[in-house]
Amino acid sequence: MALLSVDRLTKAFGGLVAVSEVSFEIGQGEILGLIGPNGAGKTTIFNLLSGLLPPTRGAILLEGQDITGIPTFRRSRMGIGRTFQIVRPFDGMSVLENVMAPILARERHPGVARRQALEALERVGLTAEADLDPKELTLARRKRLELARALATRPKLLLLDEVLAGLNPVEVQEALPLIPRLRDEGVTIFIIEHIMAALMSVSDRVLVMDQGALIAAGTPAEVTANPRVIEAYLGEEATSA
Amino acid sequence: MNELFLQVTVSGLLIGGVYALLSIGLTMIFGVVRIINFAHGELMMLAMYLTFWLHSSHGVDPYLSLLVVAPAMFVLGVAIQRLVVQPLLEAPALMKVFATVGLYIALQNLALMLFTADFRTIQTPYASASFRVGAISVSEPRLYAFLCAILMILVLWAFLKFTLVGKALRAVAENRTVSALMGIRVTRLYLLAFGMGSAITGVAGTLLLPFSYVFPTIGSIYTMVAFVVVVLGGMGNMLGAFFGGLFIGLVESFSGTYVSPAIKEAAYFVIFILVLLVRPQGLFGMGKGNEEVGLK
Amino acid sequence: MRRPTALLLGGLAALAALPLVVTQTYLLHMVILILFYIALTAAWNILTFSGKVSLGHCAFFGLGAYTSTILLVKWGVIPWIGLLAGIGVSLLGALTMTVPLLRLRGPMFSLATIAYGEVLRRVAILWRDLTAGSEGLTIPFTPGVLNMCFTSKTVYYYMFLVLAIGAVGISYWLYHSATGFHLRATASDEEAAQALGIDTNRVQVVALMWSAGITGALGVFYAQYVYMIDPDLVFSGTLFAIQPALNGIIGGLGTVWGPVLGAALMTPLGEFLRSYLGHVRQGLNFFIYGVTLIVVVMVLPGGIISAFAALRARLGGGARRSSGEEAA
Repeated sequence: MALLSVDRLTKAFGGLVAVSEVSFEIGQGEILGLIGPNGAGKTTIFNLLSGLLPPTRGAILLEGQDITGIPTFRRSRMGIGRTFQIVRPFDGMSVLENVMAPILARERHPGVARRQALEALERVGLTAEADLDPKELTLARRKRLELARALATRPKLLLLDEVLAGLNPVEVQEALPLIPRLRDEGVTIFIIEHIMAALMSVSDRVLVMDQGALIAAGTPAEVTANPRVIEAYLGEEATSA
Repeated sequence: MNELFLQVTVSGLLIGGVYALLSIGLTMIFGVVRIINFAHGELMMLAMYLTFWLHSSHGVDPYLSLLVVAPAMFVLGVAIQRLVVQPLLEAPALMKVFATVGLYIALQNLALMLFTADFRTIQTPYASASFRVGAISVSEPRLYAFLCAILMILVLWAFLKFTLVGKALRAVAENRTVSALMGIRVTRLYLLAFGMGSAITGVAGTLLLPFSYVFPTIGSIYTMVAFVVVVLGGMGNMLGAFFGGLFIGLVESFSGTYVSPAIKEAAYFVIFILVLLVRPQGLFGMGKGNEEVGLK
Repeated sequence: MRRPTALLLGGLAALAALPLVVTQTYLLHMVILILFYIALTAAWNILTFSGKVSLGHCAFFGLGAYTSTILLVKWGVIPWIGLLAGIGVSLLGALTMTVPLLRLRGPMFSLATIAYGEVLRRVAILWRDLTAGSEGLTIPFTPGVLNMCFTSKTVYYYMFLVLAIGAVGISYWLYHSATGFHLRATASDEEAAQALGIDTNRVQVVALMWSAGITGALGVFYAQYVYMIDPDLVFSGTLFAIQPALNGIIGGLGTVWGPVLGAALMTPLGEFLRSYLGHVRQGLNFFIYGVTLIVVVMVLPGGIISAFAALRARLGGGARRSSGEEAA
């Protein structure tokens, strides 16, 4: 059984159709990439999967269970974790406290939560910054915090929304190996990324969207050779900006 | 019974015109500047006091005093925007709440300091005059208030629709970011919007005084009335504010006559809460400001 | 023993011994009033942990006061039972009226809470059969522990001291609990919190329940202290809704000790302003309040607590700590 199954998912905002009849599956332990030109509907898909937007039509199944009507926080507890494109750390809470917050949703004792939070920080290499205010971190470190927080929820499926955006090439090279490492630890990953080379290098399979519809799916090699994909990107640089 | 019904309806509509004006003043400010101003009713209260003072100290007829009150309120509005709202534009919404609450406390007590807590009104020669249309008695000052309100609303509508500045205001109300990118001086327009909204609200107060009282705490009621109307009409929707004003006027008239005068004020608050709970987008659909209320 | 704990214990000891030193009735009343406002502000402030600000808490205060007083005056129910009833009614009021409003954005929510307080005030005036309307209700002077009625002000002092410690204590406990973390996360970014598995609706309701319940309880104790209640008193927005908010923001919104500082500072200051300036010009004292509020919002939105934190950061040097670590 696929970990996540999406059936004819559609989202319309009044007259504007952001996502149109999209269907796909994500297998356990996969790293699935999602690419497409700007406005293709990629982040909307993530918002639909995490529950921040209700779909107009279609269904989402997690491990065979229909989660379409289930609120966001419960989906998180069922195993869907996500990072945001523009990082959103909690104000007035230290890096460590930021990571403790989601843990405390399942672990009542702050002491235990603190320990687990430190472990999560270690996983992403943020131990030294545990007591700092997130505002004092560089963007690259804040992205790690975003990741650590999402990991703290012990997700089965992790939605990574442009986790490399805004990083310089050195930072990208440092961050990239984290993704397969997470998969090895048992997290299935669904990743949106504009930096083509990076995405292609980590993904097992890639989905391509354009104007709300799914136009191609396959291995990185298959997708990059696909004429429809090339056409969708016509005029756009297919490498990082 | 039928006669009473018509009478109550007419009275309600007449006062509704003033409430519409009050609420359009709020809509002008909220629609453009996007701030929930807890001191809105105080603008009306201050204008009423100014009108009172002009009449009692200088014998100026209230309708004539509009020539002074409107500009004075405009200046006040601009001052409030510049001194209180503008510095906090990027601050969290909660801070803006506290700032306007502070403004409300300050203005209310300023009035208390200057005029004491006594109820004030003005006696004009036509204050108790009325004429009959069939079986209905129409009070003159209420009629004048209604007509002036309608006139002002029409002038405002024309201004927004046909002048360049009016269109700029509408653009900013629609989308602040894009307007700024298109070269519209958003900060200036905020000042203008607050000034205009304040002036409009002040006019409503002046029109009201000949047949009503003013006292320092009356502002809070009118703040609530304005917000009830604006929420009913859909936040930021001028037409909605107009019809909402008439509707609330009718509610006041009917509840005051058929239930009890004491119920009147409670009615506004109850309707306010009910609308927010049941139909937050208002009776007349989405205005542009609904995200502020908490609706997607 | 760590310094803050020693300081706290010392402070509590001093407070416990205070009536031995302060015997003058007016001064004792002043201290009682400060303790009362510390408790009230701390209770109000609990809701602000969630980022929402209520300006209509007088609703819960009045509900508590009227519930216990009506039960006592009409049916002879002792105030201690009346206390439980008062808390119950406040919680019920919060659940039915305010909880549905939580989905509104901040400013709109605040506006709506004002409406709620005002409606209840008018209901209290109009429902004469139940509340005796504007004339109000009087609590008979029958001293006795069961009647929560005492001849000595000192007893009331200890009563309100316990209430203040209780309210601040609950506030502290909540702030540091899992719920506290979730509230702060919700206040900061509701969507991000939800995406991390936090039930943001539930925690806001929990905060509101605690806030309303304690406020209602304080209404009961207040009624028993002043013996006379009427709608314009206990449903007074100025005294029991705006005042705690004012104290809270001056002290430091959303922290544990901010309300304590704010109330301890503003209560005597308010009394002073009222006594001296109130005679100069009626309204002058509140006018100053209003202006102060505007100035505080512009200059020191984090309140006195944030000023301390900034000062400590500048003097302390060393490892920078976020305000979350040191606020409590």
